[in-house]
Amino acid sequence: MSVAVKKRKRGMRAKESRLAWALISPTALIVFGLVIFPAIFSIWVSFHDVGLHNLNDVFHAPWVGFENYARVIEDYAFKFQGFNNMGAAVTTVIYSFSATTLAILVGIAASLLLNRPFKGRGIARAIFLFPYVAPIVSVAFVWRWILDPRPSGVLNDILMSLGLIQEPVAYLATRGLSLLIVILLDAWRYFPFCMLMILARLQAIDGKLYEAAKMDGANAVQQFFTITLPELRYVIGATFLLRLMWTFNKFDDIFLYTGGGFGTKVLPVLTYEFSFKLYDFGRGAATAMMLLLVLALFLAVYVTVVMKNVED
Amino acid sequence: MKNEKKNLIGHLAGWITWKRFLFSVILIFFLTSILFPFYWMVSSSFKTKAEIGGREPVYVPASLRLDAFKELFDPSNPSFQDFGQNIMNTLKVSIPTAIIAVILAVLGSYAIARLHFKGKNILLNGVLLVYLFPGVLLIIPLFAMLAQVGDKLGFSVQDNLGILVFTYLSQTLPVALYMLTNYFRTIPDEIEQAALIDGCSRLDVIWRVTLPLSIPALVSVSIYTFMIAWNEFLYALIFLNDHDMFTMPIKINTIFNDPSPRPNVVMAASTIMTIPIIILFLALEKYLAEGLTAGGVKG
Repeated sequence: MSVAVKKRKRGMRAKESRLAWALISPTALIVFGLVIFPAIFSIWVSFHDVGLHNLNDVFHAPWVGFENYARVIEDYAFKFQGFNNMGAAVTTVIYSFSATTLAILVGIAASLLLNRPFKGRGIARAIFLFPYVAPIVSVAFVWRWILDPRPSGVLNDILMSLGLIQEPVAYLATRGLSLLIVILLDAWRYFPFCMLMILARLQAIDGKLYEAAKMDGANAVQQFFTITLPELRYVIGATFLLRLMWTFNKFDDIFLYTGGGFGTKVLPVLTYEFSFKLYDFGRGAATAMMLLLVLALFLAVYVTVVMKNVED
Repeated sequence: MKNEKKNLIGHLAGWITWKRFLFSVILIFFLTSILFPFYWMVSSSFKTKAEIGGREPVYVPASLRLDAFKELFDPSNPSFQDFGQNIMNTLKVSIPTAIIAVILAVLGSYAIARLHFKGKNILLNGVLLVYLFPGVLLIIPLFAMLAQVGDKLGFSVQDNLGILVFTYLSQTLPVALYMLTNYFRTIPDEIEQAALIDGCSRLDVIWRVTLPLSIPALVSVSIYTFMIAWNEFLYALIFLNDHDMFTMPIKINTIFNDPSPRPNVVMAASTIMTIPIIILFLALEKYLAEGLTAGGVKG
């Protein structure tokens, strides 16, 4: 190749690269300006005393070291004080792991159901996605209305007329029970996501595998455990981690269901309360940082385990 | 007659097996537990105050009473909520978010899918990682930062729908970018190369070749970004204080927390907020279900 051609080619490359950066820079600027920079800035805030009084002059806020963190860890809303009063840290872990596990299990059941051909399967699949696409605000308030603690609440009415309970129950205002209910509601809302992910993989499994298993005399249960489950292993793992990360920093659901009361306070809600109820932004940021640390851990697992497997 | 009946039962008995029975029971269980809340939402919105506040729940409203909707929309109602304004505010936020996100994402993802440049993969992975960041982590610095900038430039951060659009873009652009990049990669490069050789510029190619081929993807991305902005709760809760500026989610939250509980009004407002989303979803389900698995709606 002559020098001139090489040069021209290099020129084309440079031109292409300039165009590429021009095309992507608005997106990159918004995303990095409104996400990356704030994320770094929030580390800074977590080490300073920032409140409403100095919000307008935030860069001169006094440095307080780890004081914000210490105050979070010492806070009664945060620390574990026994199973009656678990504190936000432990509650978050219990909530996100059980809600995610349950959503995955229901999602597997739903995807197995929809993997069989039957009349109206298309409509059923669309309906199964309703909980996930409907706005969380509407969904949360319908459930609060269904779970109304008065005897006129519809769930109370049904359970009482079936004789399953004698007294009306305050589902979302009873310690312990509320956490369980919130976990169930979370599974109700998010199983469709797991279902879709798993269904896509299910439909890609080679039918010959099942035929061979049938020839060997394997029954449906054996087929499920020897063929279906191994084939789904990676997609279940990936979905689990993704949902775990999202559930872990979920604010809307619990805030709308219980406002974080009755033993359902999770770290995102605590972050919100520190920042926008007490206007102690430093302490709020410190709480958010703890969230981020755990998230980074999950993320590391995700990148090393899941993304690697996907490439394989 | 008798014979026919017997046939039906006989037919049913022949059809039913344990497997089918179990399958139907589970399917019906799923469908009821999914659909009942939606039925309860819509039916409650047509109930009167008496039906809502009675000793026993009313399963089917006596007639389609519009009491709740009148409170939302009728200015002569004593507790008029002016919900029309809230619908407008939501539209003012979600439509620009969808349009701007799609335009910017088209440009960005074209660059990632087609052009060679240094730092491409880092950029794409960076944008994706950003998508996993919790909103609640970013809200504090964003609030402080924007307050500072707003103070300097002389605009208010509170009750500013434009600022809200701006923050929603940061949440929607990563998904939009990811989905469109994946789609552009499926369009054969040869078509574009031919157009380039014919003397079209890159932007011409995007406009005349790539975009017409990507209509399904453009539709689903714009619906997604629209839905994210339509449903968004946390940022709106923090950035909006003035009742006239509230988007629907915040308004519904306010009506719910009113000292005198009126579940029928809350349900009516929720119905109004939910129906368009469900209709959009059903109309475009074919495109959308695929996008959901690509993480279309973070939830």
